[in-house]
Amino acid sequence: MSPSSKRHATIYWTGFGIIIALLIVAPLVLPEFWRRFLTEILIWGLLAMSSDILIGYTGMVSFGHSAFFGLGLYGAAAALLMVKPPNLWLAILYGLALSAGAALFVAYFATRLRDIYFAISTLIFSQIFYVAIFTLTEITGGENGLNFSRPQLGIPGVYTIPFTSESLHWFVLAVVTASYLILRRITQSPFGMVLQSIRENEARTRAIGYPVARYKIVAVMLSGLFAGLAGVLYAFQNRFAAPDFVLFLISGEVVIFNVLGGIGTLVGPILGAAFFLTMREFLSRLFPYLASYLNIPHLAEFPYLIPLGVVFILMVIFLPQGLLGFARRWLNR
Amino acid sequence: MRTEALTVRFGGLSALNSVNFEVQRGEIRAIIGPNGAGKSTFFNCLTGVIGPTSGRILFNGQNIAGLPPNRISQKGIARSYQITNILPNATTLENVRIAAQSRRHAWSMLTHHADFHDIIDKAQAVLESVGLGEKADELAANLSHGEQRNLEIGIALATEPKLLCLDEPTAGMSASETHDTMQLVRRIATDLTILIVEHDMQVVMELAQRITVLHYGEILAEGTPAEIQKNPRVQEVYLKT
Repeated sequence: MSPSSKRHATIYWTGFGIIIALLIVAPLVLPEFWRRFLTEILIWGLLAMSSDILIGYTGMVSFGHSAFFGLGLYGAAAALLMVKPPNLWLAILYGLALSAGAALFVAYFATRLRDIYFAISTLIFSQIFYVAIFTLTEITGGENGLNFSRPQLGIPGVYTIPFTSESLHWFVLAVVTASYLILRRITQSPFGMVLQSIRENEARTRAIGYPVARYKIVAVMLSGLFAGLAGVLYAFQNRFAAPDFVLFLISGEVVIFNVLGGIGTLVGPILGAAFFLTMREFLSRLFPYLASYLNIPHLAEFPYLIPLGVVFILMVIFLPQGLLGFARRWLNR
Repeated sequence: MRTEALTVRFGGLSALNSVNFEVQRGEIRAIIGPNGAGKSTFFNCLTGVIGPTSGRILFNGQNIAGLPPNRISQKGIARSYQITNILPNATTLENVRIAAQSRRHAWSMLTHHADFHDIIDKAQAVLESVGLGEKADELAANLSHGEQRNLEIGIALATEPKLLCLDEPTAGMSASETHDTMQLVRRIATDLTILIVEHDMQVVMELAQRITVLHYGEILAEGTPAEIQKNPRVQEVYLKT
């Protein structure tokens, strides 16, 4: 190892350790609402990170990630409802199987298309899943969704403890951290290098001997699998599945998290999710607060999504690389 | 490598018309001809970018006509492009490394790319051979035009080809860069077959052992540089104009 890469590794892993340590301690000091809020940021962050594999590394924008997320969610719901007592690992298995199946289906057809056509086809596929879930009322509960109970943490029959909001946070943190480390390693592997080569120059990548279509299919499947994992975690967190989580609005938010945080960085999308969700929470409280403070009652109903949109537009104009775009090369070393 | 009655039609236009072409292992063969003669189409056909309308391309006895570019690359045919076609946002070394990696460990997912020393050594060796050893960590976009052209050849070489197709390798180069590139081609020609499309007649005459002249998608003449220079038909359609 050269001195510069040694220094890079030291700084990188120190920063990594500090952030993980803060996230471990956070639920002990945060009040219940913000504890749950932080857990949710991690889950949305995982979803955004999974889509970064396509957007940032392979150069394919997916507008269909809600489908993989939603199928992970419904898969986990199926396991939690059908198997008594609810089993954590079975829920993960069901969720991943369902999202992987959906990803294979979408990958097989959508990767034949490129650029905007790929994006649109992923959107269409996700809407197909949405309509299917919405209409298959007997299985999915339709519009009303499904309610289920949270499984216990541990190995059933050996040792289990019920989830508290702290231990659920730590569990989610562990899964998201492991996913990050795996995805980071994949992006740095020869396979990941091929994906980035496809992003830079698809025809050339094919000309030097890579079956580009197959790489794209595997990339979509990997991405869908981790998106499904986020859906499973969301099932544990909210104990509720609804068609709204399969709707394209979720996919749109995922793309926004990526753009805000910085595509092609993996951590950027998590930061983007944190920034966007915190901003939305802050703005939704700001106007009722201002209304009472300034004594203008109508101000409380001000649509707070408008200033959120303005913030988004300003960031795209003045920070087109996203919050962590400046560190892209450094983070990927 | 041999083609049999290779024909490519775009609509009513015959870009290549029943071309029978053969090149021996280890040869440097130049393909010349006026614009629109079918030189680039011929390369595109050999490398799978376009499929032939009819005819066969035999490479080491196997028909490779109509295979996709990645399969043809794996069979051992590489090319450099007329218009520089590299990964501009990657370093010089990364450009060559990704090409070298297409032969081994291509699907490896859980090991850091820097841990495959065989690939990095190979890439470094290729960079040395094309004279870019010092520029390994430079972004490809920051290289000079001539250096980018040589990187093109480096990327092709890193795939360990048996047949290398060079599409105007010296286009836009200064006289001294052209000289260096010719030296480079001679050096690498020791263990592979080279097809070269080139407009610079001096380069062609000095490098090639044999020359094939294409005209309107057909082979007009074939022979040593001296024979081609003396051929009256070639002079008529090409050399004098």
